[in-house]
Amino acid sequence: MSKPASGGNPYLNLGALAVVVVALCFLPMLTSPYYVRIATGIALWAGIALSWNVICGYAGYISFGHVAFFGIGSYATAILMQPDYDWNFWATLPVAAVAAGAVAALVGWPALRLKGAYFAIATWALAEAVRELATVVDVTGGSGGLKTPIRLDDNFFFYVMLVTTAIAYAICYLLLERSRFGFQVKALRDNEVAARAQGINTNLVKIEAFVLSAVIPAVLGGINAYWITFINPNSVLNTIITDQIVVMVLVGGLGHIWGPALGAAAMFLMQEQLRVSYGETTAYIIVVGAIVMAVVLFLPDGLVSLARRARRMRLVRQLLGRARNDVTPTRTEKQTEEATP
Amino acid sequence: MTVLAVENVARAFGGIRAVDGVTFDVEKAEIVGIIGPNGSGKSTLFNLLTGTLKPDAGTITLFDKDITKLPSYKIARAGLGRTFQIPALFVNMTVRENLWTAAVQFDWNNATARADAVLEQLELTRVADDLASTLSGGQQRLLEMGRILMQEPKVALLDEVAAGVHPRLRQIMLDAIRTLREAGTTFLIIEHDMELAQDICDRIIVMDAGKIVAQGSFEEISHDPHVMEAYLGVTAE
Repeated sequence: MSKPASGGNPYLNLGALAVVVVALCFLPMLTSPYYVRIATGIALWAGIALSWNVICGYAGYISFGHVAFFGIGSYATAILMQPDYDWNFWATLPVAAVAAGAVAALVGWPALRLKGAYFAIATWALAEAVRELATVVDVTGGSGGLKTPIRLDDNFFFYVMLVTTAIAYAICYLLLERSRFGFQVKALRDNEVAARAQGINTNLVKIEAFVLSAVIPAVLGGINAYWITFINPNSVLNTIITDQIVVMVLVGGLGHIWGPALGAAAMFLMQEQLRVSYGETTAYIIVVGAIVMAVVLFLPDGLVSLARRARRMRLVRQLLGRARNDVTPTRTEKQTEEATP
Repeated sequence: MTVLAVENVARAFGGIRAVDGVTFDVEKAEIVGIIGPNGSGKSTLFNLLTGTLKPDAGTITLFDKDITKLPSYKIARAGLGRTFQIPALFVNMTVRENLWTAAVQFDWNNATARADAVLEQLELTRVADDLASTLSGGQQRLLEMGRILMQEPKVALLDEVAAGVHPRLRQIMLDAIRTLREAGTTFLIIEHDMELAQDICDRIIVMDAGKIVAQGSFEEISHDPHVMEAYLGVTAE
């Protein structure tokens, strides 16, 4: 007996993910390091955007402070890799995940009782508090930041980022589309009172979703801290990071498992192209503003809905074709016989 | 056997006593109708019974267990299911997914097969993969009833569940209620449709201004002076 599940065919979805990951693994052998760095950036943003999609798109809670978890993960790795502690990079990642998850659970317990704009403000305040803390305490290096050991191997970071993000997508797909937990999360998004009436402990489910959404950017933040070799509050706790995430998810498709990946790829590539074409100008912000307006007006379900729309267009063409055939005069058997010499 | 006992339950909003010292018992497999004019406290009473609101005073007992202070999800798990006056569906889910979600804390492993059966029973198969938000008002109420069928609660609270439903589908709904009752489910039904209340309810509780003003069989309450006053504004001589 099959259990309830959404999100399409799991073999097709996870198979496609595996194919994409395997294909991308050949990228360093086929292209220059520049493109490998671009792909690493896309993988990073795709993962962070996914995490925001979990709490906003699936659970319905708009977090404007998601950068806090990215920053916590970044600092956890950076601090533990300092000469005083000298932790192995891999060992720092679970610590980053646990630290961000613990903060999410502690903050989420009261904050997730708030709704709408109040929750958004609370999470924004969390991000600002973490940023201020990172600026003033010694262990984070204050505003001067921290250096991490240098590893001149872009391919290593590309593979780590790619596989981590792919694992995050697979886990989220299984949890949110193929399990009981996913239905609980989506139920609380749509109607919390009704969800409770179905026996769902919405307070617990909200916290679980928030913790899940915090762990992913923390791990990616840890990898990022090692990759970029230097972090400070302005680089890993900047509210612009949250803004970028929000735009990427909206452009890709809010509440759809693959939407953030599409949005991250589209927006990151566009950002890079604008940088190459026009340098570090404000052109990017202007274009982003125009894109967000266009998406809201013409593509409210994001880029993922293009496939559905295309299918619909195909259906229209089929129907038109059928209608055309219906009105095209065709010879009857009698006419054919008469026409035959 | 008493399955639900309500003892002196009260709830006020500011100066308004929405529910004021309500006491009644419901027996196993009984269908009890709750009627009363708008604003008489019927839906508030349902919200108190299901833990959506907490009473200011009184106790609510389900199968001899005090559920007065329990959170609503624990009350649901204890076997008390409900529908809402304004259908509270999961609007971004399909009809089928709404039914699955109703079983998420219950018989999850058999949810797909049971949902298919419920869809057929309520004639919703045609719209099974449509979003719940696209359903008509009557279909939304059917879907709420479908969630009750999926949950199979021991006590079901139905808030105007048949309002706006096509007569043929309403009959299907009533048949479903009778079938569940035969299996031992107890019902509390808020209803404005007297014909329906008379048709299906074993006993009627009449509320007005937050209080129970009468209770008994339909025949008994239809001649009760308090009921005439509450409904028609006529003071019995």
